[in-house]
Amino acid sequence: CKDSALLEVAPRSQGDSQTALTTAEGFDAAVNGIYDRLQSVVLYGRDMLAVSEALGDNAQFTNKSGRLSGENRNLINNTFGTATSGGATWQTAYFAINQANLVLDNIGNVTFSDTSQRNRLQGQAYFLRALLYHDLSRIYSYDPGVAVPSQDRGGVPLLTAGVADQSKITFPARATVADVYKQIYSDLQNAIRLFSRSNPSAPAYGNLQAAQALFSRVALYNKDYATAVQYATSAIGGSIKLSPNASYIGGWRAPQNPESLFEVQFIVAENIGVNTSLQTSYTTLVRTGDRTATGGFGDLVPTTAFINDLEAEKSSTGAVLDIRRQLYELGTIGRGTAFIECTKFLGKNGTINLDNVPVIRVSELYLNRAEANYNLGNTTDALTDLNVIRQRCGLTAATLTGSAILTEIYRQERLEYGFEGHRWFDLKRTGQNVVKATAQGGGLAYTDNRILAPIPVNELSTNRNIVQNFGY
Amino acid sequence: GRVTSSDDGSALPGVSVQVKGTTRGTTTDANGRYSISASPRSTLVFSFIGFTNQEVVVGNRSNVTVTLEGSANALNEVVVTGYGGTVNRREFTGASSKVNGSTIANLPVGSFDKALAGRAAGVQVTSANGVPGGAIQIRIRGIGSISAGSDPLYVVDGVQINSTNNSSFTSTNPLAFLNPNDIESVEILKDAAAASIYGSQAANGVVLVTTKRGKAGKTQITLNYYKGLADPIKKLDVLNTQQWIQLRTENLVNAGTAADAARSTVLGTLRLPTTLSDADIAALPTYDWQNAVFRQGQTDNYELGLNGGNEKTRFFVSGSYYTQSANVVNVNFKRGTLNTTLTHQINNKLSIDQTLKLSTIISNGQFGGPNGGSFLGAGAFSSPLILPSVAIYNADGSYNGTPALGGIPGILNQNVVQVSELNQIRANINQFVGSIALNYKVNDNLTIRPFISLDYRSIRGKNFSDPRTADGINVRGRIQDQFNENKNFLTNITANYTKTVGKSDFGVLLGAEFRSDVNENLLTNITNVPTPDFKYASAAALPQNIGGSWTGYRKGSVFGNIKYNFNKKYDLSFIGRLDGSSRFGANNRFGFFPSVSGAWLISEEDFLKGGRYVSDLKLRASFGTTGNDQLGSLFAAANFPGLGLVSPGFDYNSQAGFAPSQLANPDLKWETNQTINLGLDFGFLGNRITGSVDVFQRTSKDLLLPFNLPFTSGYSAISRNAGEVQNRGLELEINTVNVRAGQFQWKSSFNITTIKNKVTKLYPGIVPLNNPDSTILLSYVDFYGVGRNAILGRPLQPQFTTDYAGVNPATGRAMWYDYAGNITYRPLSPRDQKYFGSEQPKFYGGFNNTFVYGNLTLDFLFQFDYGRRSFNSQTSFLVENAGRNFNALTDVYNRRWQQAGDITDVPRAYNANAETNSVSNLGGTRTLEDASYMRLKQITLSYDVPAAISSRIKASKARIYIQGANLLTFTNWSSYDPEFLNFGSGNSGVVPNSKTYQAGINVTF
Repeated sequence: CKDSALLEVAPRSQGDSQTALTTAEGFDAAVNGIYDRLQSVVLYGRDMLAVSEALGDNAQFTNKSGRLSGENRNLINNTFGTATSGGATWQTAYFAINQANLVLDNIGNVTFSDTSQRNRLQGQAYFLRALLYHDLSRIYSYDPGVAVPSQDRGGVPLLTAGVADQSKITFPARATVADVYKQIYSDLQNAIRLFSRSNPSAPAYGNLQAAQALFSRVALYNKDYATAVQYATSAIGGSIKLSPNASYIGGWRAPQNPESLFEVQFIVAENIGVNTSLQTSYTTLVRTGDRTATGGFGDLVPTTAFINDLEAEKSSTGAVLDIRRQLYELGTIGRGTAFIECTKFLGKNGTINLDNVPVIRVSELYLNRAEANYNLGNTTDALTDLNVIRQRCGLTAATLTGSAILTEIYRQERLEYGFEGHRWFDLKRTGQNVVKATAQGGGLAYTDNRILAPIPVNELSTNRNIVQNFGY
Repeated sequence: GRVTSSDDGSALPGVSVQVKGTTRGTTTDANGRYSISASPRSTLVFSFIGFTNQEVVVGNRSNVTVTLEGSANALNEVVVTGYGGTVNRREFTGASSKVNGSTIANLPVGSFDKALAGRAAGVQVTSANGVPGGAIQIRIRGIGSISAGSDPLYVVDGVQINSTNNSSFTSTNPLAFLNPNDIESVEILKDAAAASIYGSQAANGVVLVTTKRGKAGKTQITLNYYKGLADPIKKLDVLNTQQWIQLRTENLVNAGTAADAARSTVLGTLRLPTTLSDADIAALPTYDWQNAVFRQGQTDNYELGLNGGNEKTRFFVSGSYYTQSANVVNVNFKRGTLNTTLTHQINNKLSIDQTLKLSTIISNGQFGGPNGGSFLGAGAFSSPLILPSVAIYNADGSYNGTPALGGIPGILNQNVVQVSELNQIRANINQFVGSIALNYKVNDNLTIRPFISLDYRSIRGKNFSDPRTADGINVRGRIQDQFNENKNFLTNITANYTKTVGKSDFGVLLGAEFRSDVNENLLTNITNVPTPDFKYASAAALPQNIGGSWTGYRKGSVFGNIKYNFNKKYDLSFIGRLDGSSRFGANNRFGFFPSVSGAWLISEEDFLKGGRYVSDLKLRASFGTTGNDQLGSLFAAANFPGLGLVSPGFDYNSQAGFAPSQLANPDLKWETNQTINLGLDFGFLGNRITGSVDVFQRTSKDLLLPFNLPFTSGYSAISRNAGEVQNRGLELEINTVNVRAGQFQWKSSFNITTIKNKVTKLYPGIVPLNNPDSTILLSYVDFYGVGRNAILGRPLQPQFTTDYAGVNPATGRAMWYDYAGNITYRPLSPRDQKYFGSEQPKFYGGFNNTFVYGNLTLDFLFQFDYGRRSFNSQTSFLVENAGRNFNALTDVYNRRWQQAGDITDVPRAYNANAETNSVSNLGGTRTLEDASYMRLKQITLSYDVPAAISSRIKASKARIYIQGANLLTFTNWSSYDPEFLNFGSGNSGVVPNSKTYQAGINVTF
């Protein structure tokens, strides 16, 4: 009586994993499932931006809810995904990677009536896997060329085959950083090849221009400057262009930033809410220019030094030249003392706490190319790109030479990507110390072990082949 | 004279009345009346089965009226064994505890399970909170499961209840559908011999509830009313405005802010002019938010019962209306019930039993969530934490600090009175539980009984966020509606055969059963209403999301029980059950659960029989296997723990998506419990001392564990049957008649249970934690959704944390011990973590005393629970000492470190609670407390109105009483109430239990 029909009950709210990836619709749903992971608070819902800013030197915590205060003071174990629950960033990223792996493992076995659909889905799986491995690598490992050898425990585990049943479970060791980058390169090359045959719609989905842009970023981290220049140039040639001065600020008030090459989209049902959305993390305001209504907590605000830097260049009449200063304004007193707050995230999707999150913007391409060209010795080209960004922001074209060019590139990177989660990683990939006031924990030397996040305890307790980062 | 029962005052027919020392005797008639001739100096002996014998000197009276005491725990009582079976306790071979309905009647509780606390050995009853009709947890003989469910099976009049608690918005109790006053008795089956007839559902014990039946004779009409008041047990002593300003300033100064800047920052935070002078500050008022949030609750209970019938047909009908409000604002419970039972003899072979219980409940819950939590608008949580300078109302009586005006200052920026009063958080639960059984008496030896039942429950949940409140203002109001419907169908057929051959009695029970349980859920979330007057979804303009889900399982079983008794002294019982369930994996669909047990009635042996001291003595022994099928989690994939699943809801950009959610394990099966029980039932000195002592070992094997996987696999775990937990325990129940002198009687009953719970096996291959103890620890999310750890060799629900070492007297910094016992400011996890006790008590029990003097009865119950260690997550916010913009406890404020040389356990105040290169000073054992308590659970003074008076209103019986609950609590717990359940956020935001006072009247016509 092994299969008594009387006792058979099949699930109706879930699907059978054995048959999930056997149709074109199944693959479409599976790829959406990967994007869904990016919306998580521990990835692009908050942490990739706000925790990066908290760890770095742009921001100070206000203690209005207490959130991000530990991260801002660089308390041990207060990092990506660890403040909410142990290692959730790592977990969510690897879950998404497994979903991408399952798509890539099986998509060749299914007949698509529309091969461009297959190319589109396959390309996105490669693109997303590359993005996730790069994010994991920059959180948990030293970046190429700047490792502290005595503390280096390698890259992150590389998994490229999906787990659909228990026989496929593996216990991987950490790959070398070089191998991780090799895999990211390969995935991006595949994505670019597939997207050139069928480009999905930007910026909600991975697309050709976004893949090229990500490649320029990855190559810059890899100190592979020629490749960075090559892909930045390709991406700059794409259809999405740099926002001009006149519409730059307006772009930040639109639901989709017109310069976004890839942006994680959120709909009303996916609102992260008053505790951990980007809007509440950064501002108490509900709308720009209205200090009477208090919305979120405004847990993390720019330091005075950051604002001073934005205001450093003035016109002859004393007016601040940099239009990006308009993205910061005084918050409300609803949760305590008012601070100048970042308003890049302001419920632009029509509902409070609901913002799409730019992952990569056209502006980055110019600065990536500038930095790569500088390192290749092409200072003229570097200065040209740097001035594209400066002039777009209302600043005058700079006439700099030598290392002053690099210093200004770093400064523009800091100001341009303010509160978008770049600064911590930019300091780290260039081996710089993090300098902060005592109230923000006093900063940390590049050799401090807190530069790298700890591998989640779960990985160590389940996988003997994993080695924890130094000092944890 | 006349003889009545102490249980309910009814007449006792058939009582033997004898003149002591003679052979003269008689029995009482149908009205309990008797007449006998006896001299004034002679003594009458009254005896009746199920009651304690009583001797009365006749004296000058011509009318000797006697009330016989039911000998509740003596060997004479009837044990309910399931599937319509009953057995005299003399012949019962298993371990069970019985609580009579009369014991728990008219207590101010929304559900009967709450009233069981402290009344039965081996049964731990804990209130999740003080919400009327709220969740209760019963654990019988410890916790025998790690990540699966640990709830007993509840069977009400043969209906196996679905006791899954799945109301999203309010704390509810699936057993609240039953009016406790309709209960005749509750039988709690504890060992395998008693419970294994329920097979794969019996591992956590079985609670059998039998409701009242009609009695043949004159129709009785019972009116019952009581009214109660509920007050908070405790409020917390927090700082006044001046203390807070000073303390918060101190925090900022200690963290490096200049004194002037700190002072103006603090005044700015309070939205006061930063120019205030010291004198201005001294004149600022303080507001008591706890006073505004806590209030006196009220209980009203109205009941009308009818019972009667004739030899062929008997009926019991009762209706009740019960309302109770909690001791915090806008949390209340209303219930109407209708209960009917009918038994009818069709002919001499055939009879039917029918039961139907209807109930409708409306409960209003608290803001935030049914189980509390650190929610800004949760009254108990927020009220002590709101900054003391903040007014509750404006001068015109309107709420201060509405969101439209920027909220109130501080982290808790919502006016908790406003959100509690304006928002509507409620559940409307409609349930009916009905059954019909046919008894077909084939011959004197054989009865066949088909049975069919339906347990239907719908929960309509509603959460309305008023557009004037913080959660509603920015979306112009939000309406969340939930509809959850559960259909639990059960049918079985049993055959019962009994035969006596010489000195041997045989009994055989055979049965087959099928159960199907299906649950559907619908959730909607819609925003944007025109005005707060519109509270239903059609008025809302902007749908946010809609959810729906389905889950269900089926079970098919055959079972049997063979009983053998020899010479009324020796009993043997064999039980076996084969269960097949759709919940189990494809390779393990069927499980077999056998048990064997025996009993020896030693007091019937010649060497004891008729002895002076030993009245009753019985030895019991049992061994058997039961199963636990509460696998998975409460919702979603609960019933498909072995399948490989992809789950929906992983949508993107308004396009549907899915993601893998569960790895298949076709070998997954039930959890297995093996229980050995040794018991001794005793009665000494003419049963003036009776009781039982049981020792047991409950070994729970094949426990469902999340076999934790590296996240790199794409999953956090796969479910496997791997763990083992052992509960070894001792239970003692003892009942004594301490004094019996004329009209005065003093009786006591005491029970205590001690259990050693230990995880004896997790799965092999768990890498020991990187700490000197090399602790083997498994993190998991339990059946109830709470993240927990299991540590090999330790009890379940351990506290595993770093050891707080107090404060450096020189600097005021918080210190911890590292693994080697050295002081550190920056302890590392897991390196420096250790085991610090468990959330399970070391022992628990109750002590009841009854004093009777004539018509007056005083009854009180102390209940105790010792050795539980819990984090005080409510006060952990209050011990921050204004490290954030919260109020703080006065005691902690007074004890804080202020200057070099101060010896204290409270670190110096420091903004954001962590000094440079340190960890948060709230971590580790600092907020771990002993939650042991003893409380006066109940005290009742009642008066039976003499017949001479009650007959004037044509009543046959009348009783009036006053009662109190939780009047005294002895505990070191520093928050409101040590009795709570940890549903993930500990005790924070939990509505505490209350002190109650009530008065009632009960009249029978």
